[in-house]
Amino acid sequence: MAAMLEVKDLCKTYVVNKRQNNILKNVNFTVEKGEMVAVMGPSGSGKSTLLYAVSGMDGATGGKVLFDGRDITKLGGNELAAIRLDEMGFIFQQMYMMKHLTILDNIVLPAVESKKTKESRKEKTKRGEELMRKLGIIEVADNDINEVSGGQLQRACICRSMINKPKVLFADEPTGALNRTSSNEVMEELVKLNKEGTTIMMVTHDAKVAAKCSRVLYIVDGNIKGEYKSPSEEVQEKDRERLLNNWLMELGW
Amino acid sequence: MFFRILKRDLKRKKTMNMILFLFIVLATMFVASGINNVVTVMNGTDYYLDKAGVGDFVIATMGNHAVGALDEMLKTEPAVLDYRIECVVYGSQENVTTKDGLELESKNSLFIQSEKSSQITFFDKENQPVTDVEKGHVYVTGNFLEKNGLKEGETLCLNHSGVKMSLIIDGMAKDALLGSEFMGNTRFILNEEDMQVLLDNEEIYQHYRGEVCYIDTDDIGAISSAMTEVSNVAFEGSRSLIKMCYVMDMIVAFLMLILSICLIIVSFVVLKFSITFTIAEEFREIGVMKAIGLSNGKIRRLYIVKYLMMALAGASLGFLASIPFGRMLLRAVSEKMVLGNDNEALFNFLGALLVVFVIVLFAYLCTGKVKKSSPVDAIRSGQTGERYKNKSVLRIHKFPAGNGLFMACNDILSSPKRFVTIIVSFSICTLFALLLVNTITTIKSPSLIHAFGTESHLYMTNVSDVMSFIGAGSKENVEKRLEDMAKELTEEGMPAELCIEVQYKYPVTFEGNAYVFTCQQGLGTSASDYVYTEGTVPQNKYEIAITPQIAEITGADIGDTIIVHFGGEDLECMVTAFFQTMNQLGEEIRLHEDAPTDFAFIASAMSYQINFTDAPTEKEIEIRKERVKDLYDNDKVMNATEYCIDCTGVADTLESVRLLLLGITMVVVLLVTVLMERSFIADEKSQIAILKAIGFKDGAVIRWHVYRLGLAALAAVILAAVLSLPMTKLCITPIFGMMGAADVNYRIDFVQVFLLYPGAVLLMTVLVSWVTALYTKTIKSSDTANIE
Repeated sequence: MAAMLEVKDLCKTYVVNKRQNNILKNVNFTVEKGEMVAVMGPSGSGKSTLLYAVSGMDGATGGKVLFDGRDITKLGGNELAAIRLDEMGFIFQQMYMMKHLTILDNIVLPAVESKKTKESRKEKTKRGEELMRKLGIIEVADNDINEVSGGQLQRACICRSMINKPKVLFADEPTGALNRTSSNEVMEELVKLNKEGTTIMMVTHDAKVAAKCSRVLYIVDGNIKGEYKSPSEEVQEKDRERLLNNWLMELGW
Repeated sequence: MFFRILKRDLKRKKTMNMILFLFIVLATMFVASGINNVVTVMNGTDYYLDKAGVGDFVIATMGNHAVGALDEMLKTEPAVLDYRIECVVYGSQENVTTKDGLELESKNSLFIQSEKSSQITFFDKENQPVTDVEKGHVYVTGNFLEKNGLKEGETLCLNHSGVKMSLIIDGMAKDALLGSEFMGNTRFILNEEDMQVLLDNEEIYQHYRGEVCYIDTDDIGAISSAMTEVSNVAFEGSRSLIKMCYVMDMIVAFLMLILSICLIIVSFVVLKFSITFTIAEEFREIGVMKAIGLSNGKIRRLYIVKYLMMALAGASLGFLASIPFGRMLLRAVSEKMVLGNDNEALFNFLGALLVVFVIVLFAYLCTGKVKKSSPVDAIRSGQTGERYKNKSVLRIHKFPAGNGLFMACNDILSSPKRFVTIIVSFSICTLFALLLVNTITTIKSPSLIHAFGTESHLYMTNVSDVMSFIGAGSKENVEKRLEDMAKELTEEGMPAELCIEVQYKYPVTFEGNAYVFTCQQGLGTSASDYVYTEGTVPQNKYEIAITPQIAEITGADIGDTIIVHFGGEDLECMVTAFFQTMNQLGEEIRLHEDAPTDFAFIASAMSYQINFTDAPTEKEIEIRKERVKDLYDNDKVMNATEYCIDCTGVADTLESVRLLLLGITMVVVLLVTVLMERSFIADEKSQIAILKAIGFKDGAVIRWHVYRLGLAALAAVILAAVLSLPMTKLCITPIFGMMGAADVNYRIDFVQVFLLYPGAVLLMTVLVSWVTALYTKTIKSSDTANIE
């Protein structure tokens, strides 16, 4: 398997009130193409900071992030934006969308912005509708963003993140704001996408969610403290969860 | 607890609070200065005339027997409560030169008098009374100095009937009686001794002396009737007529008034927007407070106190700024008038108080929603989630342009209320600037020429000729002069016919009431050459045309008979037509060319009008204009457009106001754009961050914001351009009407109205919104994690 993401000696430091806070301390890991990796850790451990630094949304203080072989820490704002638009997808805990657009238009917006394909707007819109149909939310396509449930909205966010067929999908607590049912639905979609070949890296607090991933990175105080490789899919979901929980407890979770 | 919440609120929402605070300062500045200016302009001329001591009725006598001509009337007329007489010496532009002998230009005759004998107060440019003019020094009124490029401290030479004197210019003085553009006479205010030197000259004493009398009365009609017995009258007019003479100057003042009202409207529109906007931002917190059990009253009080405190702080600062700002606005008018009111600070204070009241009222009304919404609704920023109508208006797949333009258009159409503020405020400012542009374009065109007489190729003003007509002229002499000039011009290869408008003062009787009116008769023209608004052209000496103003004063109408007392001959003249004129502010009678006029009753004459008979081209006319200037050594040779500009005399002032106004429009556009764009950025931080997170470049986000305000500005300028003509007619026609021309054919400068001004507003909006939108660069995609 080739590496989609290679993180080498990644550091991130914030200076607050003249005091230096080292959030990420020489973090090293690799995400292979087609992998689904979860990042777990206690609050304030640097999970989200890691996700944002790896995805190029936030600059790193030191180290390298090789995305598909390119060091994105050396890229400028516009180049990073172009990569985020065409090659990466993002899902956030809060389901931010443009409030004056319909759900469908919110989903199609990045596709229209992208020059990756020569598709017409109609074709892009059609693709958006197909994604919505696939995720079971086609009936809310023309709805306003405050006229749908949280689960529907998060699935719409997934559609948006997938519209430009990204190489990797970054998700920051994608189920954090959802109830159990919605959370399961969203995770099922993510697993499906991963099976279709999309590399996924997500931050989560939820062991049940992390158990669906092929690998779990455990971060404490800005360092990767452990790495857990999930058992094969043949192992039942409950057992996968139990095994992961055991591992987490060993690390002091 | 209450104040701790407030303190934290002010600190935490620094940006929005600062924006609102700036809005309040600006609004107070505009409203306070606006109210003060409205009061000042409304009382403008009365305040000025009272301060100068002009009285209720003014008479100026001129000619060989001018001095003493009023004595009998003043002694016998019981309506005269009090009067003041000053002695003047009349002159013309030929009597003054620079110390190097260069000729100087004056529109009308000069009044030379001493400061000591003057019966009204003149004011210097700082609005201080002119007192103690030193020997060898002079104060000059009107725009004589400015027109001739003379400055304080320079010397000019007076050469009148052989008396020569050098006078050092002490400065410009404001003259309440003759200082208006309509009067256009210049006064030279000398030292008593210098004046005596002039009066000691026999020729001046005999032929150029005159009197100006200021009468206090409570019966203008009686004085007016008594004047029918007085000869040698060059000018007579009531206080209201003098006030009317300032109408041209007051156009500028009224424009300032309209501007102030516009700024007040803009201020309140913007204030309403910013308060609604900031309170909408606070709804989540309102929800939390409701959820933890705070009563509606307490929550509302919290916000009302917050806005009251901000209003008090902002209004105090705005009040201080409003005084110099208001004075700056009035300076353009105050150059010729003493404008002001004795309660400036009070009116500004009342304006500031009004702003505080309005803010608290807005805050009270906007927080009214607190009562209606449940804690959850409030947490959802006032949205119930039960709307069935989609907010989004446009669809991305149907939109023909890029994302930036799509989102901009969709934002405007989805929440038009937000953008109404910008559209209304920009429209008002642009519309007002265009209104002025249309007025100036009309004044600077031959559009008004029929309000002064007939249209000719060239007009030549010669004040000394007019004075000689008044002094010892006769109709035959003038006709001879016209013939001679026509001959001279023909000999010079410019075959022409000449004519001149002569104004007489004749007593008139209608239905037993006596009046004295200016009657105009053309020498070299016939009654059919003029434009009439109603009725038929006077056919013989027994027929006259009158203006609607005369009709209103006398009650006469078409078909009525008016008796005109032509010296020895009283004629019963039938009114056959109405016409409009800007001479005498519209109070005039037009006589048929055969009417038995006599130069003993002449009041004034207008310019020589030259009509070339060989149909020259426009270019040729311009060449001939220069040749006529050389031929008669007279710089006051004008084409029809220049003549209109000269007669109205307000074009230059309006031009300077136009620049001021353009500046103010640009400043308002700048401020509103910056403040609104900054508000939008603060409100849309999460959306900007998410756009960046999904791969929108900084440029794309900036374009979205610039397009949005640009489109709103575009809508505003289109609206303003479309409304400019009807609004000009609505606002300016009454002012022209006061001057005698109610039916004005407005000219539009398409380049200025549809391109230049809208373009400037649009460009300013785009530039400012672009610079302000650069701030979005500081919002990072990773901020999605930090936004509440």
